[in-house]
Amino acid sequence: MGTRMRLMVVAAALVVLGAGSAWAAGPLDHPGFTKTLACTACHGPGGNSPSTTMPILAGMNAEYFKKQIQDYAAGKRPSPEMEPYAKHVLQLGIDDIAAFFAAQPRQPTPMLGEPAAIARGRTASAPCAACHGPDGRGDLAKGIPSLAGQAPGYLVEQMALFKQDRRNPGDPTLQAVKALMKTVPDSSFPDLAAYYGSLR
Amino acid sequence: MNSVTRRHFLRTSGGAVALGLGGTAALAGCAASMRGDFAPKAGKRVVVVGGGWGGATAAKYIRMEDPSIEVYLLEPNRQFISCPFSNLVLSGVRTIESLTMGYDGVRKHGVKILHEAASAIEPDRRRVRVGEGYLEYDRLIVSPGVDFQWEQVQGLGENQDKVLHAWKAGPQTTQLAAQLQSMADGGVFVLTVPPVAYRCPPGPYERISQVAWYLKARKPRAKLIVLDANQNIVSKAALFREAWKAYPNIDYRASQKVVAVDPGVREVRTEFDKVSYDVINLIPPQRAGAIAVQADLVGADKRWCEVDHTTYESVKHKNVHVIGDATIGLPVPKSGNVANSMGKICATAVVHLLAGKPAPLIPPGNTCYSWVSDREAIAVVNAYRIENGKVVQIEQKLTPAQSVWVAQRSLGWAQSIWNDMLA
Repeated sequence: MGTRMRLMVVAAALVVLGAGSAWAAGPLDHPGFTKTLACTACHGPGGNSPSTTMPILAGMNAEYFKKQIQDYAAGKRPSPEMEPYAKHVLQLGIDDIAAFFAAQPRQPTPMLGEPAAIARGRTASAPCAACHGPDGRGDLAKGIPSLAGQAPGYLVEQMALFKQDRRNPGDPTLQAVKALMKTVPDSSFPDLAAYYGSLR
Repeated sequence: MNSVTRRHFLRTSGGAVALGLGGTAALAGCAASMRGDFAPKAGKRVVVVGGGWGGATAAKYIRMEDPSIEVYLLEPNRQFISCPFSNLVLSGVRTIESLTMGYDGVRKHGVKILHEAASAIEPDRRRVRVGEGYLEYDRLIVSPGVDFQWEQVQGLGENQDKVLHAWKAGPQTTQLAAQLQSMADGGVFVLTVPPVAYRCPPGPYERISQVAWYLKARKPRAKLIVLDANQNIVSKAALFREAWKAYPNIDYRASQKVVAVDPGVREVRTEFDKVSYDVINLIPPQRAGAIAVQADLVGADKRWCEVDHTTYESVKHKNVHVIGDATIGLPVPKSGNVANSMGKICATAVVHLLAGKPAPLIPPGNTCYSWVSDREAIAVVNAYRIENGKVVQIEQKLTPAQSVWVAQRSLGWAQSIWNDMLA
């Protein structure tokens, strides 16, 4: 390598170093991070919600995330909280935000149920496994989300909404889950949620 | 925590302004080592004044985003007590202990916390006075909350120990709860709502709901008279009116601005009327925390601080940012959720500016839950965008009705957002 070439390599390295040294490596390196600042109030840093009623977004499939945001924004999935925030997401850039949450390692919910409730939920979950799989991880090709480690209070509310046809009312792709939930007594919801929340 | 303990640590920590974030009172008990430049600055440094919803969040997020920046947080109180949910202490639905949290989580991010009040800001020299010394900064974030305009109500300033506000969660919250509990059945509880702008627009109406629920259950012959300085319920009006159908004990009177109070004869006077009470909760008119007024961060009204809508830098002083309830000019409520949002956006802006980069354009978000009974809640949610450098609202949504589901979600919101601030 000639002197000139060596100098160019050094200069290029300095440019790279200079660009990278404005701040220490960290969350700002992902283009979606700053766009999720409003989300973390409820959904936790990186989308790992510590609470039972706020769903965990970390590790969520990007296509599933995007469909939910679009449905919230259009009022198809009615939610007074999420309709405004979905519009916030759409105007900041849904692709960056979906990619950010999908890239975050999911920390399973810390809200663990009683062992007895988890055991009852495991038994009651047999019909759910047909779509969500024996490990609760869903089937991304069919748009079926993972329930493993999800916040249990959130799961209970969604089961009730499916049963009452209040989640995406009239959506033909959700007929199966709604028909199934109509056969499940409300008293089983906390057990099912405890079981799926306990999966690691 | 009982009030004696709290008073004790307020005294020993030198924060003489009860519960104020960044009070300006003289520091009686500061460490002898805090003289001169007691912590000389080596690299980039941000000082945050006030460890509430905005300040604690900002301090933590700066360290999360760039651990090479040294962050000092000045907060007189050793523990954080949440104002959201403190109305439920009055009705006995929550305890004050369940709303009290420490700062260890913030410390774990490497934030250096001094339980001291900032006594002055010197923008020209980029330093904050603490005790007998000072801290230098590259950027300062002021999150001072609100202070009360005692002088707006005759008789209030000299009777602060008898006429309670309970508008900063802490000893007054439990004192007011005790006054409510010991009031005779058949007694009159008067609650006064200050004129806008004040901290937490739906807060007084949630409190009215909680007091009315308590009285209905425990003192069925008692009455709650509301003297609202505003022409109508300021926030979620239709939802509150619906909820209040369950509480015929509420006597709501609009456009009744309180001008005087006399605890000797237990009487409060509005511009037009006199009302006798057994227990009063007088929520005084408000302005930005005292340090913001003293540091000339407030506008011509001497009440609130105008800021850049994307960086929260003061329009009056460079390198000084103001966040939370003390700000004005953005179409956002003075809420804990907004302060948390501003804390993160301001932290991100400061990290970018210190790296010589433009701040990203991030709008805040707002979610305000209000409990209207011991188990049901309502909510209002706002979304915004940045348009020509200004925050503009794009959507406001209310819950269709009160419900236990909304209340359950509010519990999740609280746990998550306290975690976002303090863990």
